[in-house]
Amino acid sequence: MTRCAPLAVCALLANAAPGAAQEPAPVRMESFALENGLRVVLAPGHASQTIAVDVAYAVGSRDEQPGRTGFAHLFEHMMFQGSAHVAKGDHFGLVGRNGGQTNGFTTEDRTEYFSVLPSNRLALGLWLEADRMRSLAVTDENFRNQRQAVQEELRMRVQNQPYVDGVAAAAYGSVDSAACYPYSHRTGGSMEDLDRAETAEAQAFFRQYYVPNNATLVVTGDFDPAEARRLVHAWFSDIPRGPAPPPAQACTPRFNTGGPLRHVHDPRAPLPLVLHAYPVPAYAERDFPPIALLASVLGQGSSSRLNRSLVRGSRSAAGTIAMIGGASSGATGRMSPRRGPQVLLVGAVANQGVSPDSVHAQLRAEMERIAREGVTDEELRKARSTHRAEAITGRQHPLFMAEDIQIATLFLGSPQAVNTDLARFQAVTADDVRRAAAQYLRAENALAQVISSQPAP
Amino acid sequence: MKRLPFAAALLLAAPASLAAQAYPTTPPPPGPVRPLEFPAFRQETLPNGMQLVLIERHDAPVVSVSLALPGGASADPTGKEGLAQLTAQLLGKGAGARTAEQIAAASEGVGGTVSASADADYLAVQADFLAADAPLAFALVADLATRPTLPADELEIIRGSTLSLLQLQGSQPAFLAQKHLAARLYGDHPYARTPSPESVRGITRDDVAAFAAARLRPRGALLVVAGGLTWTRARELAEGAFGGWTGAPAPLPAAAAPAPRTGGPHIVLVHRPGSVQSNILAGNLAAGPADDARAAATVAVHVLGGGASGRLFTLLREQKGWTYGSYASLSRPLGTGTFQANAEVRTEVTDSAVAEMLAQLRRLRDERIGDEELGRAKDALVGGFPLGIITARQVAAQVLTGRMLGLPDEELRTRRTALAAVDPAAAQAAARAYVRPDEAVIVVVGDAPRVYEGLRRIAPVQVVDADGRPMSADDLAPKQPGARLDAAALVPFSDSSAVLLGGNAAGWSRTSLERTADGFRFVEETQIGGAIQQRTEVLLAADGTPRSATQRGSVQGQEARIDLAYAAGRVTGTAVTPGTEGPKTAAVDAPVPAEVVDENLLSAALRTLPLAPGSQHTLSVFSSSANAVQTRTFRVTAAERVTVPAGSFDVLRVESAGGPAPVTYYVTADAPRRLVKLDALGGQLQVVLAR
Repeated sequence: MTRCAPLAVCALLANAAPGAAQEPAPVRMESFALENGLRVVLAPGHASQTIAVDVAYAVGSRDEQPGRTGFAHLFEHMMFQGSAHVAKGDHFGLVGRNGGQTNGFTTEDRTEYFSVLPSNRLALGLWLEADRMRSLAVTDENFRNQRQAVQEELRMRVQNQPYVDGVAAAAYGSVDSAACYPYSHRTGGSMEDLDRAETAEAQAFFRQYYVPNNATLVVTGDFDPAEARRLVHAWFSDIPRGPAPPPAQACTPRFNTGGPLRHVHDPRAPLPLVLHAYPVPAYAERDFPPIALLASVLGQGSSSRLNRSLVRGSRSAAGTIAMIGGASSGATGRMSPRRGPQVLLVGAVANQGVSPDSVHAQLRAEMERIAREGVTDEELRKARSTHRAEAITGRQHPLFMAEDIQIATLFLGSPQAVNTDLARFQAVTADDVRRAAAQYLRAENALAQVISSQPAP
Repeated sequence: MKRLPFAAALLLAAPASLAAQAYPTTPPPPGPVRPLEFPAFRQETLPNGMQLVLIERHDAPVVSVSLALPGGASADPTGKEGLAQLTAQLLGKGAGARTAEQIAAASEGVGGTVSASADADYLAVQADFLAADAPLAFALVADLATRPTLPADELEIIRGSTLSLLQLQGSQPAFLAQKHLAARLYGDHPYARTPSPESVRGITRDDVAAFAAARLRPRGALLVVAGGLTWTRARELAEGAFGGWTGAPAPLPAAAAPAPRTGGPHIVLVHRPGSVQSNILAGNLAAGPADDARAAATVAVHVLGGGASGRLFTLLREQKGWTYGSYASLSRPLGTGTFQANAEVRTEVTDSAVAEMLAQLRRLRDERIGDEELGRAKDALVGGFPLGIITARQVAAQVLTGRMLGLPDEELRTRRTALAAVDPAAAQAAARAYVRPDEAVIVVVGDAPRVYEGLRRIAPVQVVDADGRPMSADDLAPKQPGARLDAAALVPFSDSSAVLLGGNAAGWSRTSLERTADGFRFVEETQIGGAIQQRTEVLLAADGTPRSATQRGSVQGQEARIDLAYAAGRVTGTAVTPGTEGPKTAAVDAPVPAEVVDENLLSAALRTLPLAPGSQHTLSVFSSSANAVQTRTFRVTAAERVTVPAGSFDVLRVESAGGPAPVTYYVTADAPRRLVKLDALGGQLQVVLAR
């Protein structure tokens, strides 16, 4: 046996040994549809004494019409305003009093509601979802009150925070709104549109999209599938099927890219943030996994390219990012996939005394290099390992498991795809990355922007 | 067999589930609670004195390896606060044969993570990997703990980011409240101390090396492993990685238990000028972690302030609408702990909220909690326990924390039963032991002049600035804080300056003061890039009192306009300021003291003050953006020499506080005084005298 000298190399060799790679255990599940069209997935696992109940409605900001932005998210709030047997605000109270956690989140493509509960509270979790699916109280008073709450949320999370507004400007502004309205406006919507929202529209929205035939119910964790099946049939099957939701709005991928560095003024930004936004393919497309791994090589961890080059090397940046940008999951914090075109955001926060132009040039150089040369085998192995480890580690938690199943269902067409999705990423080769990088990461494709408290020069 | 009556037969024949299938109109009750099987663990003390604990779980192929070493931030020597934290962060930046980059490459290469941190009472090195990479996880944790190289250049990187973080935290009211509460409650105990920029700047690599040598020793250390490993394998890996590590840590500095203060609640008002909210944090010292009444106290405190069903939330938010949230909790360090209750409320209701919070603390002691309310709190706590032990890492953390706090392992297994067994009498007894309003310190971080009088009616108030320096009532009384502008010292001038952003030339500014027929005219013109253009004019009477202030300009294409008139003890007018959603127009109408100085005149007013090294001055400044009179303080902190484009000057460094952001002015030491340089935004914005 040859000795291997540097420890780091030994460790890498040891881990590259055949058979060392681990795959997550296949997710065992049963999946069925009720007569009213509700899709149900039951995936028990008994590692902890907890369960997750997760309902996704296939509606998001991409279904909003011009002048009506922010509506999907506003409606998410309405879902906590009470139903026939649950008083206003009591949804949170009931789950909290039973030792659980609950919330909802809205992305471009879906609106998802989740509870994690101790496993003997399965019935409560299912009943709360059934009650609001069958009898949500969309009253005028609730609606006005939540419109205000949503506007406060926008002020707190967007307007009062550094960078958030500017990052959204890059993530959504890079999509041409005439060609692809669904992905060119923000999930949070605009204050003006929210001001115009009417109660009657919310009621119509509920009838149109919050129907069993537009929803998927996923239950994970420590439960008895027979019991869950019985409760689901008892409490969900008499909810009437609704008319089929309208087809998704058209989206021709066309982008507002190229051009000189754009300036976005943000008085709260302590240091300038330089961002490059590149259009990239939808989650289900063949070229997405190589791009996702490439983003990991660029920006994930302190051994990533951008961190090594801009933070530790030239010390120009306080921090760097590379992410497929848009809305994120409120359950797991991960970025949410899209059915339509996505956007890769790479960026760096300029250190004090470093000009944004210099950071812009360094970012561009790194992007040109990766588009020209692709990634090394070692970098690719790191990205694949990280992707796999995240999936395995995440799925210990019933909520992450439920979300993975929802993503497989909505974005890949079937819940069972949760067992094959990982392989799409593990199969990526350096050639795949090189080809995808050359195609999508051309400098002329990028929209470049600096977010800064300083005025444009 | 005898025939049954028809109805009875029907009943028996009906499937048992029929009743359950009727749609419930009330929340379904919980199913039976299964005994909680806290994952079993096995342990052994290794020959070097280090204890190994394994929680074997094969449900997911992951492993979490955590090493804890007694002695954390509370072992920081006085004046070196932050030493434990910097040391911990530096461990991952070079260890064994690996550099910082190699450590990152090795762990991230297989999708793992390794890091170190400092708690108040212990240091921890933590690794999370896939189970197949367990040898690497052990090797990295061992490298960080036993063979750190502590590179000097990496220390500087960490110091820089720590200083930035401190700066950010200093602007956050919740952080300030916590810092002041700890300082007051713990007195001379190490838990009272927090890092400051000075202490962080003073930490040398030798300090770090000495701290690491004293603390990173196996005797008394705890290695907790959770995940897909057998005992044999875990033991073999631990021996291999840590076998050659020997020695005992230096004894921890002894600290006398902090003494509770008595004599009724006492308010510390931390002045945060212009704050639109008051951050209220009330607390008192409470028992240590191993107290018998812990479970009962946890239930009682949950009734008071556990989440959205707690009394504080229900009352202060749902009924009064004063706050976004209000909660109560118990802290649990190794030594004496605390009880705390908090709320962030609108400035106007600060005193009402403090009074209500105190009333609720007393009620918890004086009244027995009703069965239903107590039951709900217990349900939440007992039910929620499994949510804290889902992942291998969570399980490891529970075991590690319990051990480091000196709790028996039984506590983890019996916690749910202990909580479920709490009855109203035990909860009340625990509330009386843990919630002690007569020993409480109530920290209020807010705009002191606006809340002082109201708070004084509740309890004695001590006013301090953000750094804890006492402020007198005079500092706050808006009628008499400021020096009157010395008209005799108003000397005409005309200065040109360059504006630098991030060190780069970005624009210019011209200021001048001239005599008029009946007073003075101050003019400032500024241009920064193409984006900011502004002209400001302030007219003064011959005695220096302001008459008017006008401003015209544009910021990023948005209009900026101020028109103020000062007369008869009031200022009136309008202010249009740029914002993200377009210009905002505000009507100005406020009472002002006779000595008021318009905010726009500050750079000129500063020259009239009797500045001397060490001197401190205050001005009553009307700010149109805050629409209020603010007390600005100016401290001369140094005499030095600076060089700017106009030349080299002997200057006094004057640090201002009380405005929207701290500004440092450099004013010539000799008369006629000139403003040579101005630093704002941590040096990002500078104005330097050109001629």
